Amino acid sequence: MQDQIRDVLATHGRMAVDPREVDEQADLYELGLTSHASVDVMLALEDAFDIEFPDEVLKKSTFESVHNIAQVIEGLVKAVA
Amino acid sequence: MITLPGEVDGRRVRVGCDVADVEDVHNSLAAFGDRYLRKVFTTGEINDCQGRNRVHRLAARFAAKEAVIKAFAEPDMSFPWREIEVTRDGPLPLLRLSGTLAESAQRQGWLSSSLSLSHADCHAMAVVLVVCSPAVDEPTFTVNGGDAGAGAR
Repeated sequence: MQDQIRDVLATHGRMAVDPREVDEQADLYELGLTSHASVDVMLALEDAFDIEFPDEVLKKSTFESVHNIAQVIEGLVKAVA
Repeated sequence: MITLPGEVDGRRVRVGCDVADVEDVHNSLAAFGDRYLRKVFTTGEINDCQGRNRVHRLAARFAAKEAVIKAFAEPDMSFPWREIEVTRDGPLPLLRLSGTLAESAQRQGWLSSSLSLSHADCHAMAVVLVVCSPAVDEPTFTVNGGDAGAGAR
């Protein structure tokens, strides 16, 4: 899952570093992820995992790290299953 | 050293600002089209943003949403973008909140707001000023070092 998340970040995150090489706990905003880019990341993650981010997870912390994104997606995938 | 209070005449004041890259909005529209629009903007905003400067207007509204999020100053809150809407009263942009964000604004004591939008070729920006009810449980004036008369440094 983390590889897919990192691929999405690499394509849509417009970050200053390669997200495939950052620690899973690294602060993505500190590494250049903008609020607007997080919208693209979210939409691309919805496509990649066939999920929809509900309003309650639309918060800064959701997209703060690869770890946080993975946790939220795991929860959404389980909810769909 | 002094810490100046975030209030005017006893009423707390919040300010939020943000800058959006117009090209980013253009790229999102190209990549995700209607899904991007529907995820971020209300139907009213989409209808307001037509014509030659469509992307610039959308970018300004995105900046307004982020400015409002900053004015809330609660990073762990959920921020559904569509619950923050820019409407118009003639030439003046107005802020309309709905759903959970309207409830949060009431909880924080938001009374009134003023919104300003602008854009150039490459960027759009927004500033929002919010006047809140007087604080009941927050310290309003902190002085360190006994030098309050010297002003902020």
